[in-house]
Amino acid sequence: MTSGGVRNVELGGLGMLWRSQTVGLGLPAALGTALIILLTASPLANLLTSALAGGPKAFAILANSSMLSLIAQTMLLATLATLWAMILGLPPAWILTRTDLPGRRILQTMGVLPLAIPPYIGAFTYITLLGPVGWVNTTYRAMGADGPIVNVYGLWGGALVLGLFTYPYILLIVGSALKGSDPALEEAAKAAGLGPVGIFLRVTFPLLRPSLLAGALLVFLYALSDFGAVSLLRVNTFTTEIFHQLNTRFDQRSAAILSAILILLTAAVLIAQRKSLGRRSFVQRRSGARPATIYPLGRWKVPALCCSYLVLSGSVFLPVALLLYQTGSPLSLLYTLVSGHRYLWNSLWTAAVAATAASGLGLFAAYLAQRRKGPVGLLLTSTTQLGYAVPGTVLGLSLILLYNAYLPWIYGTAAMVILGYLLRFLPQAVQGSTAALAQVNPNLEEAARSLGRSTWQALREVTVPLIRPGIAAGWMLVFISSMKELAATLLLRPAGFDTLPVRIWIASIEVDNTGAAATSLILIAITALPLFLISRLDATVSQLN
Amino acid sequence: MISPEKPTRTRFTRRILLLWSLLLSAVLPFCLNATASASELVIYSGRKESAIKPVVELFERQTGIKVALKVGKTSGLANEILQERQRPRADIFIATEAGVDEILAREGLLESYVSAAVRAMATEYKSSSGLWTGISGRARVIIYNKDLVRGGDIPNSIFDLTDARWKGKIAIAGTRERTTLAWLSALVETMGEAKAKAYIDKLLENGLKVLPDNSDVWRGVGSGEFAVGLTNSPNYHLALEAKLPVGVVYPDQGPKGMGVLVNPNTVAIVKGTKNLDQAKRFVNFLLSKPSQELLVHHAFEIPLLPGIDPGQVRPLSGFKALQISQERLADLENKTIALFPGL
Repeated sequence: MTSGGVRNVELGGLGMLWRSQTVGLGLPAALGTALIILLTASPLANLLTSALAGGPKAFAILANSSMLSLIAQTMLLATLATLWAMILGLPPAWILTRTDLPGRRILQTMGVLPLAIPPYIGAFTYITLLGPVGWVNTTYRAMGADGPIVNVYGLWGGALVLGLFTYPYILLIVGSALKGSDPALEEAAKAAGLGPVGIFLRVTFPLLRPSLLAGALLVFLYALSDFGAVSLLRVNTFTTEIFHQLNTRFDQRSAAILSAILILLTAAVLIAQRKSLGRRSFVQRRSGARPATIYPLGRWKVPALCCSYLVLSGSVFLPVALLLYQTGSPLSLLYTLVSGHRYLWNSLWTAAVAATAASGLGLFAAYLAQRRKGPVGLLLTSTTQLGYAVPGTVLGLSLILLYNAYLPWIYGTAAMVILGYLLRFLPQAVQGSTAALAQVNPNLEEAARSLGRSTWQALREVTVPLIRPGIAAGWMLVFISSMKELAATLLLRPAGFDTLPVRIWIASIEVDNTGAAATSLILIAITALPLFLISRLDATVSQLN
Repeated sequence: MISPEKPTRTRFTRRILLLWSLLLSAVLPFCLNATASASELVIYSGRKESAIKPVVELFERQTGIKVALKVGKTSGLANEILQERQRPRADIFIATEAGVDEILAREGLLESYVSAAVRAMATEYKSSSGLWTGISGRARVIIYNKDLVRGGDIPNSIFDLTDARWKGKIAIAGTRERTTLAWLSALVETMGEAKAKAYIDKLLENGLKVLPDNSDVWRGVGSGEFAVGLTNSPNYHLALEAKLPVGVVYPDQGPKGMGVLVNPNTVAIVKGTKNLDQAKRFVNFLLSKPSQELLVHHAFEIPLLPGIDPGQVRPLSGFKALQISQERLADLENKTIALFPGL
């Protein structure tokens, strides 16, 4: 099948979509849409209106000459981090799914582990190693040299750390697409005389573009809204400036204006992504497809293995080893676990509830937006993406403002923390479901219906099994992100209700290195578990295929 | 078995919604459980947990009053109190610096209360209208790395730091650390605007390194990244505890020297508290001898009340302190921020 064929199929599908659109929006769908929009958009709308109520004075901060350089610096940081994450994530995605690399199942599992390590913990690691008085520079000076050889503080350090701990987004999403894509296309190319590189460049890569863009987008938007790592690495970005305006200058107006700019920047990026994908975003995923072609690596085996382990060293082994070293003994780890079991439990259940809620809402939004094109779908997807644009601090404050004033019985409960996670990470669930749904041609459902299945049955028997890995991946992403969330949690937690990241933060301001390291290890171990399960689940899914 | 299109489609969405609401209702009891009950005393504390928690636990044991403690950064928690003004959640606010209390006081968010113990405290360390009270102090000192700075090189005055030999070797936390902001305002007040500006400009020309917070300063000096740092006295003791080679100077002590600014840690009752009596009891308790000594010894802070054993720290009587009211510092705040954009 050629790409032209894919497009024709899609055009046929469009006709069906048009018909289904004329059915109109059911009441539950309308209610659901309203609920999602109310949930996601109202806190920020409230923040903005309260800020703008002050009139033109609100915009005073924009007159500040450093504003442009702040925008430039933030965009540069996000771009560099994304490029770095693509370099780290794309080749392994192909090598681990499409070659006979020895031990690739284990590598696949470990390759996503950096997602279990919050970038602020990664930043600690690299400051210890590459800071002005880090181990590398100290050794360098001890050898008689003058001055530091590297300095992790600043823009480059920020990009280094952000890329290292976000590349699995690309690895995961691209890897999943590579597993699911139809080998028939590549076989046809092979028959036409193309080599592995040619096949990759001419056939595989173009088909991967949507998932690569989706992964890159996750990294880029994460870098835009990160606060912990950039503030530790002393990079001034929009988020640090917003934090500063809010929390040291108590200037809610300026913070709200800056937040609005950040949201606009994010919107521009999202629109650009949509434009570049255009209408050719369908990659057909056939139910019951054969497993993808595996290429023999031959003499490239050793270099490929080395590279894979090098990436893992920088993003997993090194941080974990350092944390183990700082923890000192298994006893102190056990002590932290026992004395802090309450925080662990708090983290676990809030993240699980948020992930489940986000998956439900995400599937709903993605399905509606995919199958019912038009203004409502667009509105839905845009509002669910808001969480991307908003740093935790801003989200936390806007939620405080809204809920303390209008829903005080929710305010001051753990539900606020869950709500914070939900809004911040809903985009990941939507993204997961959307990417999965995009691979399922609506014709499959149509075909099932023409064979006598009801719409619900067609969904359950055809679509849902196909997108289940996507939903599971989305659940996992939200769960893990929630487990790691710090900035919003700090604001939204009720008094006396701390989570693991909050404990890490408190331990670090108390300069309790042992406690911080031990708690970090516990957090990493807990978030590594679902990552491991999902990579197993993915394997079983492809085996079933 | 063919069913009409519309009902099944809506049934699908309905099922998702049903599942979703079931889940929410199953979870809600959990959430409500986690909230602080109305009788609990809610304390927002900018003080380190290791310093305040022993005091809070002692208070709970002695009075039977339950406390919900939220530890954070002083200005972040103050911001929460500002946002929560319509429905205050905190009963007590403990800050590491008085300027923040002045901001809240001017917004009408603090309740006036003068504990009996406070009469013995110098006026610089308490609000003139009883809106907040100092609990212990931190002096603005110079710390230096003993491996890098020796003997006669040790600076005695903050003005020594403009000397070329310190070029690129001095660290300070920016005005995002409010103790730095207070120190700058104190300079403006005692030296006058022009002289203070000239002094800071000289420091900046001398390569003054502005760091995000005070812990960066003492860690940077302790580890040898910088030779000297301008920071708060407890940080010297923290660096010692971390076995770093640091020394401390209480600068400008000569007869004509301006002395050292002492920033009080403070306690205040939040206006609109539903637990006013318990809150007052807590303030009294915080100023009592056992909790004062717990605080001083845990966090290396300077006692502001007479008769408290200072432990390892230099007591108020041991150095020349700058006399300046916190209200005056608060008045200067905006001017100071505008005056030193580089900090």
